[in-house]
Amino acid sequence: MVILISFDIDGTLEVGDPPGVLSMDLVRRTKAAGILIGSCSDRPISGQRIIWEQHNITVDFAVSKQQLPDVKAKFKADVYYHIGDREDLDRQYALAAGFEFLWPDEALAEPWLHLDGDSS
Amino acid sequence: MVKQGVVPDELTKPFWDAANQGRLEMQNCSACNRLQNPPLPACSQCKSGEHLEWKEMSGRGKIYNYGVVYDCPVKLLQQEQPFNLVVITLDDDPGIQMYSHLPGTPVDEVPVGAAVQVIFEDTANGQKVPEWRVVA
Amino acid sequence: MTTENAPASMYRTTEGLGVWEHKGKVAAVGIGHSPTTRRWDGTPENTMGANSIIALRRAIEDAGVSPDQIDGLVLDPVTTTGAHWPEGQPIPMDVVNAFNPTDDPLDGIAKLSAEWILKNMPELTNVKFTMYGLGCMSHAIVVAAQAVGEGRTHTCLVLKSWHNLEGRYNQSGISAADTVPGTFALSPGRTLWGAPGSYGTALQFAEYCRKYGKSHDMMAPFMANSRRNGLLFPEGYWAQHRPEQLTAEDYLNARWIAKPASLFDNDIPIMVSGAYLFTTAERAKDMKQKPVYILNHASSRGAQRSILPTLDEVEAETASTGRKIYEGAGITADDLSFENMYDGFSLFHQFHLEGLRYRGMQNGDALDFYQTDISIEGPNPVLPSGGNIGSGRSRFWMHTDCIQQIQGRAGARQITGVKPEIGVSGGPMPMGGNFTVWSASPG
Repeated sequence: MVILISFDIDGTLEVGDPPGVLSMDLVRRTKAAGILIGSCSDRPISGQRIIWEQHNITVDFAVSKQQLPDVKAKFKADVYYHIGDREDLDRQYALAAGFEFLWPDEALAEPWLHLDGDSS
Repeated sequence: MVKQGVVPDELTKPFWDAANQGRLEMQNCSACNRLQNPPLPACSQCKSGEHLEWKEMSGRGKIYNYGVVYDCPVKLLQQEQPFNLVVITLDDDPGIQMYSHLPGTPVDEVPVGAAVQVIFEDTANGQKVPEWRVVA
Repeated sequence: MTTENAPASMYRTTEGLGVWEHKGKVAAVGIGHSPTTRRWDGTPENTMGANSIIALRRAIEDAGVSPDQIDGLVLDPVTTTGAHWPEGQPIPMDVVNAFNPTDDPLDGIAKLSAEWILKNMPELTNVKFTMYGLGCMSHAIVVAAQAVGEGRTHTCLVLKSWHNLEGRYNQSGISAADTVPGTFALSPGRTLWGAPGSYGTALQFAEYCRKYGKSHDMMAPFMANSRRNGLLFPEGYWAQHRPEQLTAEDYLNARWIAKPASLFDNDIPIMVSGAYLFTTAERAKDMKQKPVYILNHASSRGAQRSILPTLDEVEAETASTGRKIYEGAGITADDLSFENMYDGFSLFHQFHLEGLRYRGMQNGDALDFYQTDISIEGPNPVLPSGGNIGSGRSRFWMHTDCIQQIQGRAGARQITGVKPEIGVSGGPMPMGGNFTVWSASPG
């Protein structure tokens, strides 16, 4: 099973402004599990890439909020998640793009690790 | 698109009452023979409120300009995003503008300069509000 | 001491007034800024009032005057970025009482009186003149310059502070209400139709692009230049908290707010205070910093015919503003070393530039000009402060930058392609604002 996870940054990841509850270690574990990962944020795309480089995490994409449909078109996966802290800018954009949505505290349990099938 | 309800106040009650009766009325200074919108307590030209009256408009206009709203501050409208937000000018006086969501026109396909006709829609509390449609 | 709003007579709003009677007789000699934060964190140390005290004390120290020499204070009492104290929410009295409060518990948190400042800066023992320059720093500067020129005060602090609370810009209160009053529903700004703050500017920009055959993409070099300059402004929000460049790719991929205004065309609301110290040219000679003389101040009070200003109305107003600026200063566009007109929203900066006829620009030229060298190293610097786009919403970075550039204290942001002798700053809106001409010499 191919899984793709999009992380919002501010209010979602620990490196965000404000900091969120999701650690960069969680992101690394997700990557190590063979999941396609990236960020979808209101931050400049170049700024998103710098954050990932600073934490030695190679991401598959870094996009603006309205570009989740482009991510879905580019990467074929069985399940698409977006994790974010905002109803208007995360949940609504995610659902409109056909992603499943998780709030950051829901994502702490890493529910994607318990999905049936091969995650690579 | 259902807009927030409107509670008419002293200044604007004639405008809203007319809308409920299917008429578009604008404030007019009879001394200056000059329309104004939005409504004000005094004429913006002669600064007097003594000669202000309400005058029925033809209900015809043109699309002057538009934008597309993707991040609306009004909670009730957020579920409709993105939507057109158009500025109409009245044929009675092209200096007078009104807003419109331009119902029936696809998002970002607004024909600037096209003729429009006023219609009246219900807001959330039943108060009618003028809206505009492109004339075929 | 009661503090009044500045009377209309203190603003130079019309053409034909001739050279400002106090040209070169008022000077800026001190600058102070508080740290920036995105929002209030709830602590006394991070209140808008605390920031104000920091900025004022830094300006005093920067000027090298003793506090008892100061006899004037001009400030804007309105400090909101768009965030208002929620109705019914208890005011934290521990925060209020961490200072010397006035009768209004929100004073120092979500509004600011001269009384609050004087109560909490006991070192200001000789302030005899206080006045409100209602609007933003551009207003306060004009009022303070005029007051010093008129001899109402000889050593005057000028202050602008901002508070920003939780929640999204303009989305609480009436925006979330079930019903709105009839007058509000038809008002030009926030209405029944849900226009975001940048909508009016977006429409003027759209009309501009249609008329002159330009496009939103052509803004990208201006945006990158502004952010670059902002990241060289150590007092600014982006430099302090998120030193991210804004590339053309970033700008062109941003989501729309009110198309053609995108996310980055809107400035970010922040908490920050800024202060200046003005004095007479005579006193300034002996002070620590090189004086920066004020050659003129001019104000714009444009009124549109109906709901939104048309492009014609905007261009007529900014052209008039340009004429007023030059007339009162006794200079021409050719005398400008650089410009620092307002940019929050970015999509109206070109109206200010063209109104100034900066570097010979005519209406419709600015976006082509943005494709040339507009950097601080070049001969035609555009917005060397980086403005609100470069450092967050203060509406005073451009004034600070004018003073620092002319003093030679702009650090890594110092313009090098042209000698900084005369600069102009001001705003906010093309249809209404206040503008100041700064100079290395009294003229």
